[in-house]
Amino acid sequence: MSSQVMSTELLSQYLPILIFVGIAAVIAAAMLFGSMLVAKQKPDSEKLSAYECGFEPFNDARSKFDVRFYLVAILFIIFDLEVAFLFPWAVSLGRIGLFGFWSMMAFLGILTIGFIYEWKKGALDWE
Amino acid sequence: MAVIAAIFLPLLAAFIAGFFGRRIGDRGSQLVTCGAMVAALVLSVMLFIDVAINGHARVVPLANWVASGDFHVDWALRVDTLTAVMLIVVNGVSTMVHIYSVGYMSHDPDKPRFMSYLSLFTFMMLMLVTSDNLLQMFFGWEGVGVASYLLINFWFEKKSANDASMKAFLVNRVGDFGFALGIFSIFIIFGSVEFGTIFPAAAGKAHATFNFLGWHVSALDCACLLLFVGAMGKSAQLGLHTWLPDAMEGPTPVSALIHAATMVTAGVFMLARMSPVFEYAPTALAVVTVLGALTAFVAATIGMTQFDIKRVIAYSTMSQLGYMFFAIGVSAYQAAVFHLMTHAFFKALLFLGAGSVIHAMSGEQDMRKMGGIWRLIPFTYAVMWIGNLALAGVGIPGVFGFAGFYSKDIILEAAYGSGTAVGHFAYWLGIAAAFMTAFYSWRLLIMTFHGKPRASKEVMDHVHESPVVMTGPLTVLAIGALIAGIGGYEWFVGHEARAEFWRGAIQVLHAHDSIHAAHEGREWVGVLPLFVGLAGIALAYVCYMFVPGIPATFTKVVKPLHVLVFNKYFFDQIYDVLFVKPARLLGFGLWKAGDGAIIDGLGPDGVAKTTRGVAAGVSRLQSGYVYHYAFAMVIGVVALVGWFYFKP
Amino acid sequence: MQPVLTDLIPALPEIFLAVAALLLLMLGVFSGKNGTRLVSGLALVALVVTAVLLFRQEGYDVAFSGLFITDSFAVFSKLLILLGTGLSLIIAQNFIAREDMDRFEYPVLMVLATVGMMMMVSANDLLSLYVGLELQSLSLYVIAAFRRDSAKSTEAGLKYFVLGALSSGMLLYGISMIYGFAGTTNFITIAQVLQAGPASLGVIVGLVFVAAGLAFKISAVPFHMWTPDVYEGAPTPVSAFFAVAPKVAAICLFIRVLEGPFGSLLPQWRQVIEFCAVASMLVGSLAAIRQTNIKRLMAYSSIANIGYALVGVAAGTADGVQAVLIYMAIYLVMTVGTFAIIIGMRQKGKAVEEIADLAGLSKTSPMLALALAVFMFSMAGVPPAAGFFGKLLVFMAAWKAGLYPLSIIMALTSGISLYYYLKVCKVSWFDDVKEPLDRPAAGLSWVVTATALVVFPVALVIGTPVLNGAAAAAASLFH
Repeated sequence: MSSQVMSTELLSQYLPILIFVGIAAVIAAAMLFGSMLVAKQKPDSEKLSAYECGFEPFNDARSKFDVRFYLVAILFIIFDLEVAFLFPWAVSLGRIGLFGFWSMMAFLGILTIGFIYEWKKGALDWE
Repeated sequence: MAVIAAIFLPLLAAFIAGFFGRRIGDRGSQLVTCGAMVAALVLSVMLFIDVAINGHARVVPLANWVASGDFHVDWALRVDTLTAVMLIVVNGVSTMVHIYSVGYMSHDPDKPRFMSYLSLFTFMMLMLVTSDNLLQMFFGWEGVGVASYLLINFWFEKKSANDASMKAFLVNRVGDFGFALGIFSIFIIFGSVEFGTIFPAAAGKAHATFNFLGWHVSALDCACLLLFVGAMGKSAQLGLHTWLPDAMEGPTPVSALIHAATMVTAGVFMLARMSPVFEYAPTALAVVTVLGALTAFVAATIGMTQFDIKRVIAYSTMSQLGYMFFAIGVSAYQAAVFHLMTHAFFKALLFLGAGSVIHAMSGEQDMRKMGGIWRLIPFTYAVMWIGNLALAGVGIPGVFGFAGFYSKDIILEAAYGSGTAVGHFAYWLGIAAAFMTAFYSWRLLIMTFHGKPRASKEVMDHVHESPVVMTGPLTVLAIGALIAGIGGYEWFVGHEARAEFWRGAIQVLHAHDSIHAAHEGREWVGVLPLFVGLAGIALAYVCYMFVPGIPATFTKVVKPLHVLVFNKYFFDQIYDVLFVKPARLLGFGLWKAGDGAIIDGLGPDGVAKTTRGVAAGVSRLQSGYVYHYAFAMVIGVVALVGWFYFKP
Repeated sequence: MQPVLTDLIPALPEIFLAVAALLLLMLGVFSGKNGTRLVSGLALVALVVTAVLLFRQEGYDVAFSGLFITDSFAVFSKLLILLGTGLSLIIAQNFIAREDMDRFEYPVLMVLATVGMMMMVSANDLLSLYVGLELQSLSLYVIAAFRRDSAKSTEAGLKYFVLGALSSGMLLYGISMIYGFAGTTNFITIAQVLQAGPASLGVIVGLVFVAAGLAFKISAVPFHMWTPDVYEGAPTPVSAFFAVAPKVAAICLFIRVLEGPFGSLLPQWRQVIEFCAVASMLVGSLAAIRQTNIKRLMAYSSIANIGYALVGVAAGTADGVQAVLIYMAIYLVMTVGTFAIIIGMRQKGKAVEEIADLAGLSKTSPMLALALAVFMFSMAGVPPAAGFFGKLLVFMAAWKAGLYPLSIIMALTSGISLYYYLKVCKVSWFDDVKEPLDRPAAGLSWVVTATALVVFPVALVIGTPVLNGAAAAAASLFH
């Protein structure tokens, strides 16, 4: 009995997330359908093609592509995530104190070493 | 100390000759083994004087052997008069045979091996006769069996020797099985296998019974009969005798030592040793008497028909063993041991003499191809005469007799004197056997030495007297055959001296004392054996020297009987049909169906086959496709989770 | 409970090794083409220093807000892991130089994987467990595909990666279930929650998923399918490394998770472990019979060995844990030795890996054949080799815990395994030489000799301190 109470209590803590998901869905739908309704629709072949660069969205998955795309994408993700960590860290720096500060420094240091490594290895040279 | 040396010297010699024979050479190993035997003989003579004459019987403990629950067995040497006599016999004959073998085996390439086996056999025999408990006796018993196997099969490239050795071993297994069961029964009855515990307790167990399927059988009778089965095997008594004639495949010294003088008498010794127990087993004694008498008679009849010189002597041995057994059956243990002793001398003499003949005849054993050689090998001829006279029991009452004259007579007199029906039965069969014994002995003598030479010219040109290493032992044994009877009579079976001599080594109930009865018996009972013996000799002369046509005519007249006897009563053939063939059939069936199809098929082979099949299946699961692998993982986790839902 | 600087002390060996890895990376990238040997050497030094630091650790300590724990069990496991990594690194030296793997990243990745393993066995929280596990796995994925020009090696790496990702998914799913139903990821708190009342089905299902994720790492059946392919495809020194250090780490992690937070669910998880143990022993023993490639043979052998180790885990007692630790220690030594011989298998400079290639080894290099025989007999569990005592301890622990069918299956499959171990001996001793093998490099011979001597007879001499260490390690889990 008590565990049931506990689990409902636990689930109720997730209510804000549920609300957040709902709002996000509503906004996304509004933007999609809003642009359909409001914007002018004048398609041509260039406009209908997926991207300037890159691949056809619906195609054989086993096509050859330059591995450097992949490399760049991975490098992007690493630094993207770094930023994703930096945000909450910066917000809560006042509460996590010196230990929190140095933790992030260590993290950044490791990333820097990785960055030096990939630079030195030539991963950043396109040619 | 002397006891230990007398027994372990042969082992040491066997060890040295066996393992270092190549290092010390033929001469070295002969010297080592013969030297050890001579030393052991001297020691055993000293022991005999000390123990039997001066009465210092003793038990020498060596070591603990088994201590398991209530079961305690020690290694110990029991030396009393019985053992001392056996020591003299074993070491005496063995020493002579060792020395004789130096000459007899002089052309054989494997002399160290032969000498080593001989010494090993001697040690095992000594263990047997000095044992202080039934288990140690069993050790010696099996040990002599092994040594006998090795010696019969000494010329292992001969198939007939292989077969004979296996036959000896297998037939003895039947007896040994009985012996083992006998030991078990003794342990059940007495709770011990130590002689020192069993003998005093025997009287108290006289009325003990075994309950067998609702029958109450006398426990002691049962145990003694089982022990007797063991003795039958070793001592070639009727039924388990078939191995002994075949065992003549071994070298002749082996026949002399093992299959005449010592090992085959182990059964007699064992029964004499167990006399305090047998005395309370009247049924067993009666069975021993009847079987012994039958053996004596049947073996003698076969002996009359054989042509192989060694086989004749072998059947003669069997016949004499029969005498010893019915002596035991009528409680004349001392007489049995007396005959054992005298027989050891004259039978070893006969075998070695026969060996000398065979040696002279370039290996020929068939008497039909001998003859006319008595002038060429006069010494051998002379000792064969002495041996045969001793075997036939010739002597002048009150003056002098050859060895058998005293020992065989006292057995027959005791059998008659026991006054029982089986005793009389044994006496008359024994008289008949004595007649036949004399007959076939002189038949052998005449066919071998007299008449026209029937051998080829080359063989006859080679006939020569044996060297002194062979004639020496023959001389000693001949002296033994001459004086053993007259010298030992008073000690062994004499009127007053025997109690003094045996000192309780053999125990006889007063009511059973047949030797006493023999001395009190009627005159004709003792004289009859001598007369039939002389008659047998005379008949042999008539049939084989003066009127040579008689045997052929006679065998034609009683043809069916002759066929029966000549073929040894078809024992081998009957056993073949009754036991050997069914056993082979059973073995074949168990091999093909039981072992091959069922045990191997379902066991090792089947399991291996299944394993291989499963292994192939498991390997096939490893397809190499990553989605198969992922699928397996998912299925696995689903199954493991699902298990919790379906768990009771 | 604010983390403070003293939290660093319990984690000092890990921190040191992590920093060393980064420094080695920098050293390697700046020293150019010839840096591999230097980096390898320094990596070995770093491993030794870490081991020394571990020896200085004593007692029980929790750091980083309960994420990290250090106790005798962790120290014992980490020493085994370091030993495994160190030996794998030594036997790889010659091979990477010859086989186009001469890149300094190899030792660095091994060190990073080792850091991950050490994190795993010191984890006191499902999340730190996951982080450690991923650090290890990611390094291993790369190492498996290290010969990127070889189709087999890349295939091995890819398979390992894809399936590893699936197993990580299962693990994470299980963790989230446990978190959802127990309300925490901390081991100590989970243990308290589970002891307080009957466990909900959710926790049990979560536990099964976690177990499945971990079972993948130790290649227990039915999560074993990657093992033969990866062992065969990956470069031999990599297979050697895979066969020892990660196995030891994962089984220790398994023990820590099952005996620690979920100790009170023994009846529930025991059946999972029993199933995996039986299946691993059967599949490992049976499938190995058909193998002709010695690396595949070793893969199945490792599956079977993990099955035996799981028997000890299933016992759920201190005896069982001690037995497993001893078992893994012996397994590590004899596996490294065997792989050292496999790495040394070359004919005219070309690496070969068929069992048949060992033919006549006793004639060309008798000592090597002798060492191989020692390893094979030990693996088969024939006394007096060390492997026998490992199996015996596990067997006794399981028997005492009342797992009779499991013990009997263990004995039976052990008998089956005798077949293929002895087959290797038979080929190397009784078959005729077809093509003699080259002399192995000095470092390999050294490792082969040392490990063979440890398996027999040194293990008989040094057994007691190792036994005591394992006993203390096991006791620290059950305090």
